[in-house]
Amino acid sequence: MSYLDLSISELHEALVAKKVTPLELAQEALARAKADNNNAFELILEDEALAFASTLTEPEADNPFWGIPFVAKDNFSTKGIETTASSNVLKGYVPLFDAAVIERLKAKKAVLIAKATMDELAMGGTGTTGHKGITYNPWDPKHTRLCGGSSCGSAVSVAANIVPFSLGSDTGDSVRKPASLNGLVGMKPTWGRISRYGLFPFAPSLDHVAYFTRSVKDSALALNLLAGRDERDATSSLRPVEAYESSLEEGVKGKKFAVIKEIIDSTSDKEVLAKFNASLEALKKEGAEVEIVSFGERLLESIYATYFVISCAEATSNDANLDGIKFGPYYGGKSYQEVMMNARTKGFSKLIKRRFVIGSFSLMAENQDELFRRAQRARSLIVSRTNEILADFDYIYVPAAPSVAREFGATSDKLSNEYLIADNHLALGNFAGLPSITVPLFLENGLPVGVNLMGRAFEEKSLFQGARAIEKITGLENLSAVNKKEGTL
Amino acid sequence: MNFEAIIGLEIHVEMKTKSKMFSAAPNSFSRTPNSEVALLDMAYPGTMPVVNKQAVINAIRVANALHMTIDHELRFDRKNYFYSDLPKGFQITQQFRPIGSNGYLEIKTREGGTKRVEIERIHMEEDTCKQLHLLDYTLLDYNRAGVPLVEIVSRPDIRNGTEAMRYVEAIRNIVVYSLTSDGKMEEGSLRCDVNVSLRPYGQKAFGTKVEIKNINSLKNIEAALDYEILRQNSLLLSGQKVQQETRRFDEATGRTVLMRVKTDAVDYKYFPEPNIVPIRLSDEFVQNAIDTCPELYDAKKAKYLAKGLSETDAEIILSDLAMATYFEKGLSLVKNPKGLANFVIVEVNGYLNKNGISINEFGLSAENLAKIANLQEEGFTHKQCADIFNHCLANNVTPEEAQKALNIQKQVVDEGAVLEAVTAVLDANPQSIADFKNGKDRAKGFLVGQVMKASKGKLNPAAVAKVLEEELKKR
Repeated sequence: MSYLDLSISELHEALVAKKVTPLELAQEALARAKADNNNAFELILEDEALAFASTLTEPEADNPFWGIPFVAKDNFSTKGIETTASSNVLKGYVPLFDAAVIERLKAKKAVLIAKATMDELAMGGTGTTGHKGITYNPWDPKHTRLCGGSSCGSAVSVAANIVPFSLGSDTGDSVRKPASLNGLVGMKPTWGRISRYGLFPFAPSLDHVAYFTRSVKDSALALNLLAGRDERDATSSLRPVEAYESSLEEGVKGKKFAVIKEIIDSTSDKEVLAKFNASLEALKKEGAEVEIVSFGERLLESIYATYFVISCAEATSNDANLDGIKFGPYYGGKSYQEVMMNARTKGFSKLIKRRFVIGSFSLMAENQDELFRRAQRARSLIVSRTNEILADFDYIYVPAAPSVAREFGATSDKLSNEYLIADNHLALGNFAGLPSITVPLFLENGLPVGVNLMGRAFEEKSLFQGARAIEKITGLENLSAVNKKEGTL
Repeated sequence: MNFEAIIGLEIHVEMKTKSKMFSAAPNSFSRTPNSEVALLDMAYPGTMPVVNKQAVINAIRVANALHMTIDHELRFDRKNYFYSDLPKGFQITQQFRPIGSNGYLEIKTREGGTKRVEIERIHMEEDTCKQLHLLDYTLLDYNRAGVPLVEIVSRPDIRNGTEAMRYVEAIRNIVVYSLTSDGKMEEGSLRCDVNVSLRPYGQKAFGTKVEIKNINSLKNIEAALDYEILRQNSLLLSGQKVQQETRRFDEATGRTVLMRVKTDAVDYKYFPEPNIVPIRLSDEFVQNAIDTCPELYDAKKAKYLAKGLSETDAEIILSDLAMATYFEKGLSLVKNPKGLANFVIVEVNGYLNKNGISINEFGLSAENLAKIANLQEEGFTHKQCADIFNHCLANNVTPEEAQKALNIQKQVVDEGAVLEAVTAVLDANPQSIADFKNGKDRAKGFLVGQVMKASKGKLNPAAVAKVLEEELKKR
């Protein structure tokens, strides 16, 4: 048993009691990071981490993140540390500033161990498209299964007990889906709750800072630290930050859970359904009210297309700054057009170019009404329906994914409801900007599957309370690929 | 002329706010390239736009001065295109919801009447980098990237170069006096693109539009348009077509010159800026921006006219905000505003021109100039006051000290005393009287001089001249 197998709060106790030092923790985390064979890291920050950790000698009893090692997805700007978002277009780019969340973590003396791999520019959900190649699912040592993405390296870092906490970003489901496939707690709070300053934008209207932990309590503690107004992000909320862990143990008596009928109907894995139903029964036993609610099949089927149009459109604009003129590799050219074309042709992978073409096409004057604006209208209908349900219920509760992590090469019918609905519904939380958390449900043949709980805007405290109740039911607190355990469902 | 010219203008005004439109970089028009650049201005990944409040206040003030409907919900959009001077690959602007819409401005026509020019929209946006194209490379100055702009777009109501010039002049007066901008065309803080097309009188449909870009002075707006209208006119009369193109004005030849032929319009793929949520402007905020707007050109002009200044004098003083500010500092202290205006226009301007300095570097305070102007009201001659003025500037002393140093005393205007002196001189100079009677006007000047000499300059020359004239008639 290593200290790194503990939760943040357990680690904190050990640090305060001086049973272990931040330097020892950093050393061990670095050793594990270096031993990683899942391709989780863009860059391991050995010198920086050791230098910083060695300055941490006086424990801060009221600061749970003091001396805690963590990993950040490589789309968070880190001052003086190359940040590429796993894209060749940013190779060699060394930012001049820290992202707001990096700043906050540093200020609380958390120790950044490494920058994590990701799907290129966060555009992807498989963990296979970064410039360093495939990132593997740590639950499958044979490396036959997807890790999920786009926050793949961040997921691996926590699932492989390299660190107890990692930063990711979530534009469609980029933290909450890999959380399901890696047996983790993946949290995406309300849009505007955490400053996005310094997060490389993919699609700002959908982008969220999100993160992985191995317990709901750790997740709540992390939000305490990350949430709050930042003048540099005009979309960040002025609402006061709450003590998110304060009602964790209050249970779900009287809480109302809405289960979306179409999501259940389009999930074919019988074991997933059985365990999910078992969790419903357990919740009822705890005094929760559970109701099956129809969302509207057409609306749910539209999520993926709507997401794709909006996110690609915004991405093509956000990434227009990557032109080889200001930063990133420069390949020369006889004119500014050639300079830009060279940088962008060589810098982006085919998948990214495909997204740009789709995004640009959707925004063209002659297509905008039929594509971009239509997607905006669809988004607004979907958001209305979501909020309508949440007017009557505390939570929307559904399986986070239809199955365990798929094997490489496994194909799915992209027009089936299993794909369109069961595999892509998490974007609901991005459309509406609602807080949404994935927690492990059970292990199927030794591989995890998660459930997702979504709450009303800025009601993160209540969301953690619900998620904690589920965690107690599943018995999977502190689950990891190192610390495999059978749940209690 | 068989054709009617249809002219529309797009004016970009650089705002002189403390910081840039969406970043915290200073906006002080530094001459050191790339010295005023924030991370956002170079589009570093993860940087985000934050709206400059003062820019919004300025835009509201200009919109109000142009009688526009002000949108109380602030929204921004992205205009997407690739260009080397555009760091983000998009410009944040207000395509769908301009802060001001449907306004107007009244200008004087060439014929002397007044005319209402309708204004379609005013919106806020950010400026691009400044480029310096050299032989085989281009230098970029990011100081200008992100400088706040207001763009003012007129409807095609203008019919000739003079109207266009007066329209731009009126806009300039508004942006300068609302302290929104320096409004200097020659320095690019007010930039003007003009569209002009011709159509036969009576025809409703517009002809082919030609755009003239980057005209750098008011006079050149008039000249460029007058030339361009003639050019298009002769093309049409000789049966040729006007090409849709962009031209520039060549100052040396007084002609417009082809820059590029326009192909299909660029699709800017506008969409709402996702990093700025719509901002609700309260009625109080908008009203406060309007109420605290510095006094504008027209109001000042009306005030000056009411104080007795001629229209020309008022316009001369108002042609420079710093001059007007200086003038107004003295205004409340003087007995006769016209007299003060005269000193400002003649003495102060003369001194500035002679020394090649601006009013901001001028060494005499407005309070002291007011004192000098008041001396004239008290009976000192203009010449005496001008001497005091020059002495003050040359020796950096107060008017009181100058007066003492120059031993300047008030001249006598009392008619009895003047008459006495005049009579004595006339009695002593019968030949001059005869000369005068014989039509030699010079004799009068000689006699005035004699009186002044005899009185050692203590008599008021105007009073002397008046009495002498009367007395000469009697002889």
